[in-house]
Amino acid sequence: MFDLLAQTGLNALYAASYISLVAVGLVLIFGVMGVVNFAHGELFMAGAYVVVALYAGGGAPFLLAVAAGLGFVGLLGLLMEFALFRPLRDNPLGGLVASIGFLMILQATAVMGFGVRMEHIPPVTQEVIAFSEKVRLPMSRLYVIVAAVVLLGALWYFLKRTRFGWALRASAQDAEAAALQGISIGQTARIAMFIGAGLAGVAGALTAPLVSVNPHMGHSVIVTAFIVIIVGGVGSLEGAVVASVAYAFVHTLVTTFWDGVIADIVGLSLMLVVLIVKPTGLFGTADRA
Amino acid sequence: MFLELDNVAVSYGKVSAVRGISMRVDEGRIVAIVGANGAGKSTTLRAISGIAPVKSGEIRFAGDRIDRMPAHRIVGRGIAHVPEGRRIFPDLTVAENLRTGAFLRRDKPAVEADLEAVYARFPRLRERRGQLAKTMSGGEQQMLAIGRALMAKPKLLLMDEPSMGLAPIIVEEIARIIEEISRDGVTVLLVEQNAELALDLADYAYVLEVGSVALEGPADELHDNDHVRAAYLGI
Ligand SMILES: Nc1ncnc2c1ncn2[C@@H]1O[C@H](COP(=O)(O)OP(=O)(O)OP(=O)(O)O)[C@@H](O)[C@H]1O
Ligand SMILES: [Mg+2]
Repeated sequence: MFDLLAQTGLNALYAASYISLVAVGLVLIFGVMGVVNFAHGELFMAGAYVVVALYAGGGAPFLLAVAAGLGFVGLLGLLMEFALFRPLRDNPLGGLVASIGFLMILQATAVMGFGVRMEHIPPVTQEVIAFSEKVRLPMSRLYVIVAAVVLLGALWYFLKRTRFGWALRASAQDAEAAALQGISIGQTARIAMFIGAGLAGVAGALTAPLVSVNPHMGHSVIVTAFIVIIVGGVGSLEGAVVASVAYAFVHTLVTTFWDGVIADIVGLSLMLVVLIVKPTGLFGTADRA
Repeated sequence: MFLELDNVAVSYGKVSAVRGISMRVDEGRIVAIVGANGAGKSTTLRAISGIAPVKSGEIRFAGDRIDRMPAHRIVGRGIAHVPEGRRIFPDLTVAENLRTGAFLRRDKPAVEADLEAVYARFPRLRERRGQLAKTMSGGEQQMLAIGRALMAKPKLLLMDEPSMGLAPIIVEEIARIIEEISRDGVTVLLVEQNAELALDLADYAYVLEVGSVALEGPADELHDNDHVRAAYLGI
């Protein structure tokens, strides 16, 4: 029993890692841009396909392909800012609809480029850390956990300790007041889109060898991310991380002891319970909802 | 000429908020804008600092046209704006709020010195520097908004109803602070519904009515004007 729990904990930690990367990016974009980015799951998918193209197809080192995934999807974020969100500034609903359009473009592009088949990606490493007979952590999962901790730590440092990080938080809280401090709204929008999209891309790239990569893989990811940011409190980065961990543990636990469909139901019910008990989410405040 | 508005008009969609007003603010002075709700006082300040779009007319500051500049560039020219309702960043700490005021400044030692000066002027802010701004009282938030604007090292300070919603004793303190800031060589353009306070502090004043300048003159003259006394001083 203890072994099973420990193993479930390790699995949950892995799930929490990539979910929080996706969710934190989604929150960042929502906070600074004021739009719900429905294409976020497809940015995750795009990151995975960068690994398909460069690592599985091109023979590049895995880490290089992951870095390229971050950079390429970050650039997709800049493209979205330029082509969709900037012309639709002051129109959050328009931004949302435009992001749905972009989601379809990304899916169609993936289908045209790679087909609808599931991609086979050779494992990065077969090594496994065995804590005991039944508690085992594959190295490839450890990589994802370590990368998430490093990236989220770097993001935290950027937001709390650097001039542009302050600027980003200030414009998320009050864009007009931020402009009055000399902060360029256009610039913070670009930084937020690059980082937010890049995090989704790197999550997709990191997990590509461990999941089934196909043009529609973004769907379940964004549903999870939405649950997580609603539970965490829309607009709260800390909330997104805490809720990712909580959701991953519950979901993994239920999947292990019952099955995945029940786990999805439990996850959604959990969201409803949080919404009833505290409508602004765990870390949300009323004025920012 | 320090700040000059020449026939400036601003509309929000179809609503015309400011209809061709002209003003001048001389360096070193305190100039007040008074007027009823909806007269266009805030809109005038917002036009100067670049967050309301100027439809026609010109705004010049220290010799340059600024009415087509984005807000974040105007700050760099030396205009800081303490907006209506304070608009501090609720989830930043007091110290972080103050530092965002200095966002454009690269002269680090001078920024640190100015931070010290703000803390010296507002000891409460020093006490609470690690606290989230949203947990401060109304008066403290107003101090923070003023301190944040001072961190930009402005030549011209726009203040929109700094006395709003504050207890009389705090209003007095704000008045004293405005005088101090002015004495330090910062030009002040002050919007107030509290006409008594504004005319007391100011050298010169404008009275706005439905988007136009209805009256202007030295503050003490306006203070004795019958229309102003009846309409704004309640005497
Ligand atoms: N964002 C906006 N959208 C539409 N109309 C606006 C907006 N802001 C102001 N107005 C309108 O413009 C006019 C002038 O408003 P403004 O805020 O400048 O007045 P004010 O003199 O500052 O009033 P108060 O003393 O109440 O602050 C008002 O009729 C107001 O309704
Ligand atoms: Mg006003």
